Amino acid sequence: MPVRVIVRTFSELCITVGTLIVLFVVYVLFWTGVRADRAMDRQIDRLQDRWAEQSLGADGKGDGDAPLLARNDAPYKDGDPFAVMYVPRFGFTWNKPVLQGTATGTLKKGLGHYARTARLGQKGNFAVAGHRRTHGDPFKDFPELRPGDAVVLTDGTTWFTYRIDREPYRTLPGDTGVIDPVPRKSGYREPGRYLTLTTCEPEWGHSHRLIAWARLDATQPVEAGKPGALRR
Amino acid sequence: MYGWIWRHLPGNAWVKALLSLVLALAVVYVLFQYVFPWAEPLLPFNDVTVDGQ
Repeated sequence: MPVRVIVRTFSELCITVGTLIVLFVVYVLFWTGVRADRAMDRQIDRLQDRWAEQSLGADGKGDGDAPLLARNDAPYKDGDPFAVMYVPRFGFTWNKPVLQGTATGTLKKGLGHYARTARLGQKGNFAVAGHRRTHGDPFKDFPELRPGDAVVLTDGTTWFTYRIDREPYRTLPGDTGVIDPVPRKSGYREPGRYLTLTTCEPEWGHSHRLIAWARLDATQPVEAGKPGALRR
Repeated sequence: MYGWIWRHLPGNAWVKALLSLVLALAVVYVLFQYVFPWAEPLLPFNDVTVDGQ
């Protein structure tokens, strides 16, 4: 085989590999975001449809109360959305669906609720994980969280306002104590209604995790309108 | 490699160019739809939980 053919084939291979790498970077940095934004919007639409249906049922005649109760007590279904989270610190328009479970596929469609932790607003620790980079960058501004910042959630019937109590805490990936009912290292001593957010640290790595803790500050029914933290 | 493909495409230069474009788009589609979604979880950006799930 002439040298010319070998050199040409080799350079063509190099160009192909280079193009592949560039395409992959485009996929990771841009396309996963496009897809995640679409998926998250769809999850929020699903939630709002479900809530609208249920409130119609509640306002209607006869069996009105049943769906209302069912809505609050129904167990979360793995991979299904059940709440929407708002964090004013991440931007006034920032809102993401919260899905049950922390599987890879679930985290592509929204934030993931650790299945073994407490339900939203209940006694114990309601723990949620989210991507910091790629897949829509939901927790990109995680280190900006400061004590007093509001984390607001709604399950369609109630607004829950949690308040961050300390700056994000950096820990190791195996440190499951941070999502305990009384999270370790959080400074909380008594059982209470807590919220834990987790994401990766550093931004593009996976050697550590970044944790934020909050405590339930106020609740109000959705009929009472948006809580103060979400009003401008 | 690319020369070989070009020689084996049918038609005149215009048809070949069009076919090449279609082939390239098909490759990009397969990559974005199947190959990259498979490869992406192997990168570290997916590890956001503390219990290693």
